[in-house]
Amino acid sequence: MANHVTSAEIAVNGDHLDTSAVAKVKTVSLAIAAAGSLISLLTFFGAFGEFFRGTYSYSWLFAFFFFLTLSMGGAFWMLLHNVSNAGWGTSVRRTFENLAATYPWMMIFAIPLLFPSIQEYLYEWMNQHRAISGSVAGIGAKDALYASPDPYDHLLYVKYWYMNLPFWYGRVLFYFVALPLVIIGLRRLSTAQDTDPNPGVNRLLRARFHSTYTLIIFALTITFTGYDFILGLDYVWFSTMWGVYIFAGSALNAMAVIILVCTWLIHRGHLKHVTHAEHFHIMGKLLFAFTVFWAYIAFSQFFLIWYANITEATSYFLIRNTGHWNTANIVLVVGHFVIPFIVLLQAWIKKNPKYLSAVAAYTLVMHVLDHYIITIPERGISLGLIKPEVFGDIQVSIPHAFWGDILAFVTIGAAFLFFLLRAIGQHSLYPNRDPRILESANLSN
Amino acid sequence: MSTTRKRVYGYLAEFENPSALYKAAEKVREAGFRKWDCYSPFPVHGLDAAMGLKRSVLPFFVFVGGVIGCLTAFALAYSTQVLIYPTIVHAKPANIFTIPAFFPVMFELTILFAGITVLFGALALMQLPRLNHPLFASRQFHRVTDDGFFIAIEARDPKFSPTETRELLATIGGTSIELVEEEDN
Repeated sequence: MANHVTSAEIAVNGDHLDTSAVAKVKTVSLAIAAAGSLISLLTFFGAFGEFFRGTYSYSWLFAFFFFLTLSMGGAFWMLLHNVSNAGWGTSVRRTFENLAATYPWMMIFAIPLLFPSIQEYLYEWMNQHRAISGSVAGIGAKDALYASPDPYDHLLYVKYWYMNLPFWYGRVLFYFVALPLVIIGLRRLSTAQDTDPNPGVNRLLRARFHSTYTLIIFALTITFTGYDFILGLDYVWFSTMWGVYIFAGSALNAMAVIILVCTWLIHRGHLKHVTHAEHFHIMGKLLFAFTVFWAYIAFSQFFLIWYANITEATSYFLIRNTGHWNTANIVLVVGHFVIPFIVLLQAWIKKNPKYLSAVAAYTLVMHVLDHYIITIPERGISLGLIKPEVFGDIQVSIPHAFWGDILAFVTIGAAFLFFLLRAIGQHSLYPNRDPRILESANLSN
Repeated sequence: MSTTRKRVYGYLAEFENPSALYKAAEKVREAGFRKWDCYSPFPVHGLDAAMGLKRSVLPFFVFVGGVIGCLTAFALAYSTQVLIYPTIVHAKPANIFTIPAFFPVMFELTILFAGITVLFGALALMQLPRLNHPLFASRQFHRVTDDGFFIAIEARDPKFSPTETRELLATIGGTSIELVEEEDN
């Protein structure tokens, strides 16, 4: 066991990041995000033609949702730490909260997805709804879908209770409001403790209580953002495991980001005495556990569809097992599961912040591939169906659309980095007056 | 009167509480003993580090066990379902791409073989089951399952000395120090 940490070694007024040291990185990332957003806005307003607007909508959705999963995963770890009454992670809990704090900002990037001129390329069901409402005088969209001779319209009629525009916008409003309130509230509760001259257990108990029902808000948000933004790309396909699949990747990669941030902070001389190999061992174990969980969920989803072989269920994997997507999918199986599984089995790798960070960075790369395969293969199909005169006939992938994916990823990624660094710089890097900080500092497992 | 010869097993010393046991274990380790052990009614956190125990080799056995389980399942499923008697279900292929159907079995056998390796590997490394232990000759040792914390230093340790080891145990806080002897037959 390492030396016993006493309260004399805990920074009384907190351990603050020297914001001037990261000011340059923050400025650069903000500038990249601003410039990228400007180009994106021009693209969305059609300055570069419809081809780019259509293909870039998918790029944007991919990049937006990728970074949203990281933020939502931060919220998950924060809520889980509170609700499970955990003592081990008090010294790294602030990093969970800082990662979660990026969620309200990342939701800003959902705004383009609210406009019909972007939705028309992404969500065919909305096009159907918009086209059919008012097509027959005197009846609403639901009845018009029922009356339509097109069999797909009947499917939309059956799904109307969930897939209708007012409810969709209502749900998106919920994503904009509910989880941000939870995150801001709990983070404020936690950071207020840092400067309280009489810190007691009051806030700890309150955070624990408020994390119970808000965990439901988190579950609803992560499940239904997955359904509304991603699964809605193909309204025929459905999978009841979709929400938990998104969650598995989200929790895994949020932990990867947390590991990277903690390693960086320790490298800069922060979190002294309170975070050490034992914490990284636990975080590595969680990374390992969620690697397995992701594989379990991903395989179960594939397996049930593969086994049952029902036409409308197989479409998702048929698209993604065609051409180069098949190669990418096989890479995903090996790269997202087999390699990290074998590597993370070893305790010495999990206990070493540098090695564990390398694995975490690798996991994030695989998460990019995972989300690329989730979102992008739909592009060639949908755009070919919607406007073949602009985008060409249905194809496996649209040539040159790849550059837009990079632009969107860099833009939203730079913004994510900026807001994460901003959150890290705002408060003490660990809850220095939390009643459990010594328990956490003397962790042994 | 019995004429059986007796063999010295080693010294047994009792300690007040887990904390005293922990500190004493560090001292015994620093003294350089190899053949010794701590006995406690419940697991004491960090005691293995205080004793200077090396990591168990069990995880490597378990990994090998798991790999063998996985390969066994694959060989079994592949040979029966593809090579010997190809089973066509839903017009799915009967070749290497049938592998998703084998995954549940591969998963199960990986767990089963790994689990069996844990059980029997741990028993073998602990040299269990055994009928008796020399320490059971001690009258006070039965309290180890209730409230007793003990350290026993074996006589076969090269550093063992009838006088100095006893003194060491006394100076690090051991009480009721007892020379445990087993019957030699």
